[in-house]
Amino acid sequence: MKASDILSYSFSAIRLRKLRAGLTTLGVVIGIAAIVALLSITQGLQETITQQLQRGFATKTLIVSAGGGAVFGGADAAGSGFKLFVNDTQTINRLENVELSVAIIQRTGSVQFTTGARNVTIVGVDFTDYASIYQTTFVAEEGVIPHNSTNEMVVVGKRVSDPWKNGTILCNVNDSAEIIWLNAAARPPKHENYTGNVTAILQEIGGFGVSGPSDFNVYIPLSKAQSFFGTDQCNMIIVKLINDDKTTIDDVSKAIKAVFGNQVSVMSATAVLNTLSSVFSVIELFLSGIAAISLLVAGIGIMNIMIVSLMERTREIGILKALGMKNRTVLLIFLGESVIIGLLGAVIGVASGWGLANVVAIALGGGGGFGLRNQASHAGGFGAMAINPVLTPTVTLLALAFGIGVSVIFALYPAWRASKLKPVEALRYE
Amino acid sequence: MAAIVEAVNLKKTYMLGKVPVEALRGVNLKVESSDFLAILGPSGSGKSTLLNLIGALDKPTEGQMLIENIDISTLNDNQLADLRRRIGFVFQFFNLIPRFTARENVELSMSIADMSKDARRKQAQDLLEIVGLKERMNHKPAELSGGEQQRVAIARALANNPKFLLMDEPTGNIDSKAANDIMGLVKRLNEEKGVTIIMVTHDQRLASQAKRTVQMFDGLIVTETVNNQ
Repeated sequence: MKASDILSYSFSAIRLRKLRAGLTTLGVVIGIAAIVALLSITQGLQETITQQLQRGFATKTLIVSAGGGAVFGGADAAGSGFKLFVNDTQTINRLENVELSVAIIQRTGSVQFTTGARNVTIVGVDFTDYASIYQTTFVAEEGVIPHNSTNEMVVVGKRVSDPWKNGTILCNVNDSAEIIWLNAAARPPKHENYTGNVTAILQEIGGFGVSGPSDFNVYIPLSKAQSFFGTDQCNMIIVKLINDDKTTIDDVSKAIKAVFGNQVSVMSATAVLNTLSSVFSVIELFLSGIAAISLLVAGIGIMNIMIVSLMERTREIGILKALGMKNRTVLLIFLGESVIIGLLGAVIGVASGWGLANVVAIALGGGGGFGLRNQASHAGGFGAMAINPVLTPTVTLLALAFGIGVSVIFALYPAWRASKLKPVEALRYE
Repeated sequence: MAAIVEAVNLKKTYMLGKVPVEALRGVNLKVESSDFLAILGPSGSGKSTLLNLIGALDKPTEGQMLIENIDISTLNDNQLADLRRRIGFVFQFFNLIPRFTARENVELSMSIADMSKDARRKQAQDLLEIVGLKERMNHKPAELSGGEQQRVAIARALANNPKFLLMDEPTGNIDSKAANDIMGLVKRLNEEKGVTIIMVTHDQRLASQAKRTVQMFDGLIVTETVNNQ
């Protein structure tokens, strides 16, 4: 029997039981849609986060902080009491493959304008060096980032100047800004403050600023930070390398650890991205696993339906065999039915999964943002983040193959039983 | 003339639960081309078992079932399927596929035999014309009377130019007028087109319309008569 005739025969059998076939197909649709929706949202999220990280997180930089691994918090080493000081940059600058390094002192505080106040992270940096590391993000939208900074100069992030994105501007260039910090080490703890002058407002960065510039920060000159916070101890040192080769990153990381006697942790942007990508792989695998369970259920549904269909059509199979149909053809007719159901289910499933992912993305991304607005964290915090679901051709093809594959696998047994029916017994079956 | 169908000491034993039942106990039979043989016998005489063996639907326990001198016991499932394509079955209960129209039912046996779409469509129309159903070929079995359904079944049986037609109580399930028409058609096919026919029945009057009748009883052929037309 020709392949086209087999398929059209299978199709005629499906059409006979539209509701039943429809419900079976629905099982496949749900399974595939779940996989596609979960995967495309996860991949979209990963892409968004990766992009935003890369933006605020130049790839040829290293982040050096005291102690074991407290990079994002920039906390002091808990155990050894090792401290990283501002002039440690000189040690690092002498290392091979290092272009320059920047010490960062930061504290949680607030800034008071005449129009209102904001809780911010106050970051003390060398403006020139910092701008040379973050050339795409530490860029002024208004005013100029000063090269020869004086103590009063203040650079503010976009969301400090324009917190609500609605045109209510808290400060403009040349406005005065009172910088306030609670000195908790003093007895009694007291608010320290000084009045600075807004020299520049950064352009919008968006996303996270892990150690890099953030929309929610206020930047003051490093020397001012040292005197204002009363310390030479820095939270972290950002190191700019001559390139972002893996060997360069590894060599410099080792060298930095060596000069500080392994009392520092060194984190590279690349390493963070790699970690993130492996975390996402695990999440994807886990979510696909859950979705695959629903596909498994759909597969069992297919098997169930095919066995019922086999019972109902025993006599028909007997007739076909009496007319000279071969066992193999009977097998193919039954498999054909499940392939049609699987293909239909998979196609609808991919489409509806993609639709679902977009609906979810809009629901999450709408109304001003997804996730946290953790303005006051040391690291900078999340901005409003839109997820664009990603549906790769690989995922599409895999989903289709999976839908058809499951259908075929679960139809194998009923199809095999149908093909092995003895013509005499099948014809006698009532 | 060479025998198309030849049974040599044919035996078939079924297991009914744990009890062996000897349905055929040594049947010898020869059918030649253009013959019209009626196999007559009461129920339980083994005539349906014999029919299944002649139709290559089953294999004998002992003895030989030769179709064009080929012993069906030596054939595998695929070869048996190929052989069955050249045997025209007509069943008591028609056994049409309910979801197909008359024409599609006739075409089905040709599509199983790999015939091209155009060729089988034409052949189906020709055959339905021969059995007198040209006007009703796009009706489904449920929309046809018993006699009409059996005509479709005969057209289907003829589709692949069979070596012989094998009929199991072909008029057993239709009214007497339609039964007469069917028998007329069968006789015409035999006389005018030379189609070889083997028909199983328990009806003496039907059997008498054949050229030859064999009478079965208790798994054996007991008498053989040549009918005067």
